[in-house]
Amino acid sequence: MSEEKVYIIPCSGIGKAFGGMCREAAYIVVNELAPEKAAIECLPLIVKGKKEVIDALKANKIITIDGCTAKCAYTDVRVAVREPDAVFMSTDIVKKHRDLKPEKDILILGENAKVLSRKLAENIAEKVEDLYIE
Amino acid sequence: MISVKPKIGIIACSGEKLVEGTLTRVATRIVVEKLRPFTTTIICQPLFMAGDINHKGGGSEREFAKKHKTITIEGCDEECGKVAVERYSAPATATIYVKEIMKQHPEFIPNSPQDIGDDGMKLAEIIAQEVAKKVDELYKSQ
Repeated sequence: MSEEKVYIIPCSGIGKAFGGMCREAAYIVVNELAPEKAAIECLPLIVKGKKEVIDALKANKIITIDGCTAKCAYTDVRVAVREPDAVFMSTDIVKKHRDLKPEKDILILGENAKVLSRKLAENIAEKVEDLYIE
Repeated sequence: MISVKPKIGIIACSGEKLVEGTLTRVATRIVVEKLRPFTTTIICQPLFMAGDINHKGGGSEREFAKKHKTITIEGCDEECGKVAVERYSAPATATIYVKEIMKQHPEFIPNSPQDIGDDGMKLAEIIAQEVAKKVDELYKSQ
């Protein structure tokens, strides 16, 4: 691995808005808030066991983001790679901001869900900074 | 007497790193929400691995795919959906390849994994139509 990155692994859920919020937050981190320090990787490739991906994750720090109690991102990373260095749940940010109830739209996130995703992304970016310095 | 046939399971590759992965997710939502809501259901690819481990209902994903017909939608050559279903349940009944459909419609260029844009939405609709055709074929054959 030539370039050090903190890998962000969001859940792939498409049954509720919480999964979409995980992905939206991950994209905000890797595209806007910490593009030099963070990278996204496909969770399904980890499930498949793609060697290059597994090796890259083993050599770097990992953050998982989940949207439901199945915790697919966390569990699959723990099984296929190792315990993640940090874990986030999109539902936690919802609990902290009761005034911003996420809309049920899944195809395209609603305005509240987008605001919540950005707040989640800001928290994740702080963790990226911490892990990157370690 | 009306007989209710089993639903067809749709498994999007969902790859978060590629725009094609987003297209598989959006196409899947279009199929189950709009085109074939009564004959299809979504199965999450990552839940095939995580399901039996720490979620009380998760193992049902594997069981469903063992007993029902499934269609995987693949965003790249890795075929993550197809591989996971076969490894944890049974071979997928059919597979739709997004890149093949994209080659047939070079006029539509999706924007990015985060925002596929108007062209991406048009492509997702076309992919969803292809999946719906396959759903009808499999549903009728039961």
